[in-house]
Amino acid sequence: MEEFVNELQGLMKSNKIIEINLFGFDLSITDSVVVMWIVMAILIVLSVVFTRKLKTIPEGKQSIVEVIVEFFNNFAKDCVGEHGKLFVPYIGTIFLLLIVSNIIAVFNIIPSGEDLYNLTHWEFFENWNFAIRPPTKDINVTLTLALMSMVAVITAGIKVKKVSGWLKSFLEPEPLILPFKIFDYFIRPVSLCFRMFGNILGAVIIMELIYFAFPAVLPGFLSIYFDLFDGILQAYVFVFLTSLYIGEAVE
Amino acid sequence: MTGITALAASFCVLTGAAAGIGISVATSKAVQAVARQPEAGDKIRNIIVLGAALAEATAVYAFIIALLMVLVK
Repeated sequence: MEEFVNELQGLMKSNKIIEINLFGFDLSITDSVVVMWIVMAILIVLSVVFTRKLKTIPEGKQSIVEVIVEFFNNFAKDCVGEHGKLFVPYIGTIFLLLIVSNIIAVFNIIPSGEDLYNLTHWEFFENWNFAIRPPTKDINVTLTLALMSMVAVITAGIKVKKVSGWLKSFLEPEPLILPFKIFDYFIRPVSLCFRMFGNILGAVIIMELIYFAFPAVLPGFLSIYFDLFDGILQAYVFVFLTSLYIGEAVE
Repeated sequence: MTGITALAASFCVLTGAAAGIGISVATSKAVQAVARQPEAGDKIRNIIVLGAALAEATAVYAFIIALLMVLVK
């Protein structure tokens, strides 16, 4: 049991792969950063491959991309309203990034350090502790995404209403509401961040418990719910809430 | 001490019951609404996802607090 608690504690901490200390700041490259790089590489390669040789009449892989882009266009138009077109790139990018990073645990094909060490007897693998886990289980990643969403909301408000209109929107419909409107800008990123973090960390821990108890067959079925469904749903909720906030800001 | 912490964590996770009731009420109303007015399905889907996400957040917060209680020493 003690061993298992240690493993869960290891899941919550981000383990450092390369330690960097710059001017007293801890800028180490953690495993969530490396997984984010993998996610970015996947997305960049896919977007380059899928958008090569575009034609007017779509065929093959181009029609898949068109369905996805159409989905984002409609999504933005539904949630944001008439200015929706302006925010399709941001919303679409975040959606794709979150979907891929939430479900990437399915592709965790790297064996654990212990197995590799027993297999090869390299000393390098003795302290090897890298597995592909969703980077969104790290609170730093979700907090960054939530702050980016709030920056997008503020930018959207300023861009559509201009600075004076945006400042005036704090006093509408009643000047009395001003403290709550300001409070909103602090509560929203925290709630976005913790929702994503808690859900993904919960799913990772539950899957780890199941792997611990039943190593075969059962994890396969439960992984469909905890890794795929939950990840995609949380990505949808995050993007949906972001676009609702943007819609409220540009109204 | 470990026993007390575990008990506190288990009480904390009881929030999940309330969140479950909240989500089930929202879902049952959404099903009724879709049954009455199938053409409003898209709008209702957006609202139910938003409502469920907000209701579920409470359970997630409780879960995080319970985890912190048990794992962080």
